[in-house]
Amino acid sequence: MLSAAAAASASAIPRLRFATQPRLRRPSARSHWLRPLSSSSHVTPAAATGAGALEPPDLPRLANAARISLSPQEAEEFEPKIRQVVDWFGQLQAVDLQSIEPSLRAGTGTGSSLREDKPETFANRDAIVEAIPSYDDPYIKVPRVLNKE
Amino acid sequence: MALTLLRGGMRTPISFGSNTSLFFTVLRPRLARFTARAESAQATEPKAVPKSIQLATKEAAEQKTQGFEAVIGIETHVQLSTVTKAFCSCPYSYGSQPNSTICPTCMGHPGTLPVLNEKVVECAVKLGLALNCEIAMTSKFDRKQYFYPDLPKGYQISQFDIPIAKKGYVDLDLPVEFGGGHRKFGITRVHMEEDAGKLLHESGSYSQVDLNRAGVPLLEIVSEPDMRTGIEAAEYGAELQRIVRYLGVSNGNMQEGSLRCDVNVSVRPVGQSEFGTKVEIKNMNSFSEINRAIDHEITRQILLHKEGQADQIVQETRLWDESSQKTFTMRKKEGLADYRYFPEPDLPEVVLTTDYIDEISKSMPELPEAKRRRYENMGLSMQDVLFLANDDNVAHFFDSTLEHGADAKMAANWIMSDIAAYLKNEKLSIDETKLTPLELSELIASIKNGTISGKIGKEILTELLAKGGTVKGMIEEKDLVQITDPSAIEAMVDKVIADNPKQLEQYRAGKTKLQGFFAGQVMKASKGKANPVLLNKILGEKLNGN
Repeated sequence: MLSAAAAASASAIPRLRFATQPRLRRPSARSHWLRPLSSSSHVTPAAATGAGALEPPDLPRLANAARISLSPQEAEEFEPKIRQVVDWFGQLQAVDLQSIEPSLRAGTGTGSSLREDKPETFANRDAIVEAIPSYDDPYIKVPRVLNKE
Repeated sequence: MALTLLRGGMRTPISFGSNTSLFFTVLRPRLARFTARAESAQATEPKAVPKSIQLATKEAAEQKTQGFEAVIGIETHVQLSTVTKAFCSCPYSYGSQPNSTICPTCMGHPGTLPVLNEKVVECAVKLGLALNCEIAMTSKFDRKQYFYPDLPKGYQISQFDIPIAKKGYVDLDLPVEFGGGHRKFGITRVHMEEDAGKLLHESGSYSQVDLNRAGVPLLEIVSEPDMRTGIEAAEYGAELQRIVRYLGVSNGNMQEGSLRCDVNVSVRPVGQSEFGTKVEIKNMNSFSEINRAIDHEITRQILLHKEGQADQIVQETRLWDESSQKTFTMRKKEGLADYRYFPEPDLPEVVLTTDYIDEISKSMPELPEAKRRRYENMGLSMQDVLFLANDDNVAHFFDSTLEHGADAKMAANWIMSDIAAYLKNEKLSIDETKLTPLELSELIASIKNGTISGKIGKEILTELLAKGGTVKGMIEEKDLVQITDPSAIEAMVDKVIADNPKQLEQYRAGKTKLQGFFAGQVMKASKGKANPVLLNKILGEKLNGN
């Protein structure tokens, strides 16, 4: 369905290169993130202790979202561990980033991050099929999924 | 009736049988209004719809929605016609042997990394520009988590808070037979994401998965809630289809699921500013079905409002059932689904340059809206304009014919009548026939300058469509040049009059309608080649003179 005009013009478009990362206004700021948070001057005392700004973890909900069954006893065991992880994020949130240019993503180095639209058939399809737990040629067999939620 | 659970905007056409192709080829006889539109435009004489019918339709619609107003927004998924998938080099083509175009990346094996296909970015920017959007110089991918067997990784790579394009609009013209009118609908955003695999539920005890489609690139287009009727929504979808086809980014085929529309419909009393509870409708396979599904849903909701049962309208997903022409509850939504979006750590941000965007803008073809306005300015009727601009192959053929000097109105008439009828009968697209734009322009010129009659022109066209060749060659070969020599015509007239003394007597006794009979006889004698104007003039003189 590619119209002649669209096909002809496609080749005129330059390859998109990965542009340089947006520079931080203060390149040194990044190093602060690596310091132990307890000694960082960027962490306000209230925020450092105040991981309470984050909701405490709801273990049954998390387990359900991750499709993991936990007994009430297991949930109780995991609760402090998960809370600890959440608290670490609380500490990260407390870092003062006001003077720092936001970056959407962590940098991944230079060079093109894109791939040409050229097909390459994966050679070892048999191995993939072998790794499928339940295969009913040519389909993957799974438990019946219908309107049951 | 709901045979599957559709998840998180990843539309999976519902399959009822073991054979997927069977599902897609099941075509119930239906009153496809959009097909009807093309068909009516194919009638030899494009006819204007009587105004009274238009008004009656409009009044009926107003009566139905009495005191209420519907608010409609649409999410459209467009499958891109790239050679490979979005994040791996697996080739994809519709209808391949199940589970044949798969690799560790699209199968979600541990340790694999996605790498973005540059063509996906190009398609997204093209569509973003075509929809008059702001293009984000920097955007990123996010993971949308949910568990379903058609999603091997357990998450869909999508764009959440920073889509590649946002805040656009689309212009369109409603079909003449629906009252016509120009509309502008807002586009909230366009983002890149990957498709899920296909699920089949043929067996009673288990489901089957085909992961060929897993990882195929999609663009999701979210509209503003700007539409008010089924026909507006259907036309919005049809315009998106035209745009992606003009751009060449997708085949826009609804039967194959390359273009899928999820429609949100709510109803509120006229004058109320808050929206009513919205209901999502899925499973429409054509634009006419979208139109009907929405009108059915609007009627259902208004009825509930009028009966004081507005609380029966709940936020849910309903499936359109084509055979019963009704919507059915598929699943109720318990609050917002918890997709736990977070930034995709395996992909860098997508950074565009102004040069890149400029180059793409320069490469953009003329889009449907610009084409329609240009055709309108040529003085063509809206019916002609909509027909010609509907299919970019037809539009391209029409434009080329004009480039060879043909008159616009005549070219439009030939394309919409004889050529369209031929295409429909032979199930061909215009570029699959043997007719070239050059020959159509020659044909029109030959009729215009009197070399051949219109009737002969039709005969030549039929041959050109089927067998090819040139107008000039055919005129010479078959000796079809119009007879414009008055003495030659006079001789034929004399002979016909002499051969039919009885009719001549009747004519002279006052039965002047018989001139048609004589004209027919002369035309027959000339094998259709006599110039009809000259013929009638000479015949009239002879009949009344002697």
